Amino acid sequence: MTVVTHEAGAPFGAAPPSGDSAIVTQGLTKRFPGGQVAVDALDLTVPRGSVFGFLGPNGSGKTTTIRMLLGLVAPTAGEYSVLGLPLADALPRVGALVEGPAFYPYLSGEANLYRFDAADPTAPGGTAKKRVAEALERVGLSAAAGKRFRNYSLGMRQRLAIAAALLGPRELLILDEPTNGLDPQGTREVRALVKEIAADGTTVFVSSHLLTEVEQMCTHAAIMRAGNLVAQGTIASLNGGLTTRVRVETPDVADAARVLGTLGLADVRMPDGGAAAVTADLGAHAPEDINAALVREGVAVRGLAVVRPSLEDVFVGLTGEGFDVDG
Amino acid sequence: MRRGTFVRWGVPIAAAAVIAGAMGAGPVIAAVSGDPVLPERTAQQLLADAAAATKDKAGPPPMSGTVQQTASLGLPALPDMGGASPLSLLSGSHEVKVWYGAGDKLRVAMPTQFDESNLIVNGDQIWYWDSGDNTATKIKMAKGAEKPHALPTPGPADVTPQQVAAKLLANADEHTAIRVTNNAQVAGRAAYQLVLAPKDEGSLVQEVRLALDGETYMPLQVQVFAKGSAEPAFQVGFTQVTFTPPAEENFSFTPPAGAKVKEETIGAGGDAEHAEQQAESAKEARKDTKVVGAGWTRVAVLPATLADLTAKPAETPSDGKPGSHWKGGSEGADPSALVQNVLKTATPVSGTWGSGKLIKTKLVTALLTDDGRLLVGAVTPEEITKAAGTK
Amino acid sequence: MSTAETQERRTPGLVPVAETMRTAERRPSSESGQSEPAGPPVRLASAFWRLLGSELGLTFRRPRNQVMLAVVACVPVLIGIALRIASADEAVGGLIGSVAGNSLMLTFASFSFLVLLLMPIAVSVVGGDSIAGEAGAGTLRYLLAAPAGRTRLLVVKYLNAVVFAYATTVVVALSALVTGLVLFPVGPVTLLSGSTISVAEGLLRILVTVGYVGAGMAALAAVAVALSTFTEVSIGAIAATMILVIVTQVLRAIPQLEAITPYLLPSWWTKFDAVLRSPVDFGSLGQGLLVFGAYILLFGSIAWARFSGKDITS
Repeated sequence: MTVVTHEAGAPFGAAPPSGDSAIVTQGLTKRFPGGQVAVDALDLTVPRGSVFGFLGPNGSGKTTTIRMLLGLVAPTAGEYSVLGLPLADALPRVGALVEGPAFYPYLSGEANLYRFDAADPTAPGGTAKKRVAEALERVGLSAAAGKRFRNYSLGMRQRLAIAAALLGPRELLILDEPTNGLDPQGTREVRALVKEIAADGTTVFVSSHLLTEVEQMCTHAAIMRAGNLVAQGTIASLNGGLTTRVRVETPDVADAARVLGTLGLADVRMPDGGAAAVTADLGAHAPEDINAALVREGVAVRGLAVVRPSLEDVFVGLTGEGFDVDG
Repeated sequence: MRRGTFVRWGVPIAAAAVIAGAMGAGPVIAAVSGDPVLPERTAQQLLADAAAATKDKAGPPPMSGTVQQTASLGLPALPDMGGASPLSLLSGSHEVKVWYGAGDKLRVAMPTQFDESNLIVNGDQIWYWDSGDNTATKIKMAKGAEKPHALPTPGPADVTPQQVAAKLLANADEHTAIRVTNNAQVAGRAAYQLVLAPKDEGSLVQEVRLALDGETYMPLQVQVFAKGSAEPAFQVGFTQVTFTPPAEENFSFTPPAGAKVKEETIGAGGDAEHAEQQAESAKEARKDTKVVGAGWTRVAVLPATLADLTAKPAETPSDGKPGSHWKGGSEGADPSALVQNVLKTATPVSGTWGSGKLIKTKLVTALLTDDGRLLVGAVTPEEITKAAGTK
Repeated sequence: MSTAETQERRTPGLVPVAETMRTAERRPSSESGQSEPAGPPVRLASAFWRLLGSELGLTFRRPRNQVMLAVVACVPVLIGIALRIASADEAVGGLIGSVAGNSLMLTFASFSFLVLLLMPIAVSVVGGDSIAGEAGAGTLRYLLAAPAGRTRLLVVKYLNAVVFAYATTVVVALSALVTGLVLFPVGPVTLLSGSTISVAEGLLRILVTVGYVGAGMAALAAVAVALSTFTEVSIGAIAATMILVIVTQVLRAIPQLEAITPYLLPSWWTKFDAVLRSPVDFGSLGQGLLVFGAYILLFGSIAWARFSGKDITS
């Protein structure tokens, strides 16, 4: 587990090689006029080929970071690199969805894509038709291509924005809250699409305020809180600091604790407040063996669950705070 | 970032500097390159040269140019007068274009927004064209009548530098300190500048500067400076001038199709009644007018009462251009309104001579006494009240 | 200072902050060795025209802009009809009066009306909307992430406004010309100076007028685009430009402020009447063009300074 700590004005060490990193930032800071620090000395490393979850409650500086990476907002201090290239050369290889879709309402979905394709100086105009058609096909909007954007549903708008991000060959996809406002079906589609894109070798940087989403989609994650990076690493390494536990629901709390102890489970805990459950580290034990042993000893088992550590636990463990899902 | 911000905003600041520089470049270049190009001359030499230059030939050399007249007499705001009203010359800035061919060929155009009036003199052919009312007036001079400046439009022709200069030179006498500078630049030409400064303390005039072209000795500019003011209170001069004969078509005029064509005779005949009336009243006025003082502190005294001045004339002067719909009506052209406007700023004064209303501008002081006299002069208020005491 | 040089001295791949805003502009990739082709200059040039084409398509297909052009085109027709009805009345003089006698004069008369308010409004709308409209709709962030390049986008936006300004001018001229030819006799044109010119010469002078008035509107477009970079509400930039136009018109009418009128844009818009004089007052036209150029330079650079360093948070 990599927990990054920050000290103001700490000198930079040797910069991480950018060759295998899609995004590297060092001490990246944004202080808005008025003094509000949106991002504070952020050191982020996004490995190439990863699906990187950028996790944090709303207002924790995720969007500002993304805006800095895309050259929309000038950092107050620090350095960053996207794909190891000067920004102008990197951006054509980056597809981006920033803070929701924004299109010309009076244009069709297709015309909107032509418009943004024209803005990219490296996009060859000759292949625009083909690329627009492909991008629409990929997000399943071919049928609605000629429909005006203002008549699109929320899900279609989100998909059009992803299509715009897929107009060219991309090495990096930056998706800011891609499932925001989508129904469960739309969410599933977006997740499938992200997996598909990642399978092609494209690095995907997804910001989200939903822990489950990041856990399900991503190989790596970073956790932001109030402009600070709390932790980053692979999902496994982030979870690795915490162990899988077993939870036994029973009215015979004391007996259950005793049985678990004799089985050799560590850290047996009886919850405060007299709840009818006992927890312990699962270790190498098989849950079915534990159940059998409990039944054998005459403990009335109402329920038995294996509790894998979640990112929320990681977050709570690191900050001592709950993860406020709604910001 | 902060450094970048400064650098970025340096660009528009530099642009503003370049623009300001370009606007100021004219005078700057003149100041740099304008140092003595001309041989030095005393006032007498200069005047003699000028006299010789004008006497030898039949008049000034053929030329064309733009004459600008600017007045900031410190009068209260004058309403918009409409293009050609002579009253409009009292404030603001006006431009006329002049083309002068050999001998008796002259065209004076007064362009205003979407309108233009022209006076075209070609030998005995004199036309006055006003695009505002689409009228061409053929002007005939009655035999023995005076020169063309008695035309119905006393506008542009009266304010060319030549005429003003001639008047000023006539005034140069023992009341005046005269010096000459030889490094002036007017309309891009090297010019001598004759500076006439009144010796009398009581005058409101600081000095009068007359610029004479270094080559042709033609007056290019006249400036009148009031005491305590760096900007001229009155200025008339060329802003652009070329001494090449202008194209012939400037002096040929044929009334365009669809225009109203009128004929007017000046000095006698058709308009005689009117002219006689004018002449008579002018004669009368001259009889009643006294002059007090001498030199620059002369004060004219004429009989006038408040009622006389504010009475609306029966007839609006024809050159008030009431027809100009671009200017939104002719109210402003009414001289009585102007007088009323001016009188609003008058301060009541009194003394041993009586009492009255005093109007002071940068260049002229006027006193309307309660006993029915109007005193006008380019003098200080003290001087004018002194003049009011001499009956 | 080239990017490639400075980059070599730094940690590989890391872009220092001071550099990022500048390098967000497109430049030929020959400077940055490790990047794959960003395209030869020819390709960049064609990409520029493609973006401008996209911009023009957006502007001229937009119903609001089409309505504005239609309204502007209607005015000469209305003036023409009104003058045709009133032409029996001999009292009308000046430029307006001369329309009854000649079809070409309707063009100049129409400009004399439209140049003061209606055309500036049309240009203000397109210019004021240029950056602020994209910012308000959120599309600006996607254009810049594309990456359109800030200077490049600003130049395209301004050129688009200039094209619209000229389109407005041409629409007025054509509408007035056609209306004039239908309603009034064709023949030699009487100038303000009282002399006459042939129909061909008259058409040539209309062309000069279109060039001059269009340049005047292009100068206003620079002001509008500059104001547009200061807000994310396009109606704010549009209203600010219109208020500026109206305020300068009012200032122009105050005699005490005569000294400042040569510095105000509207004072020069009406100076197209120089083509109606004999000889054509090219001095006045040239001075007007210099003033327009100064406005474009000043407000163009203000727009650039503002936009190139602006944080896009919309």
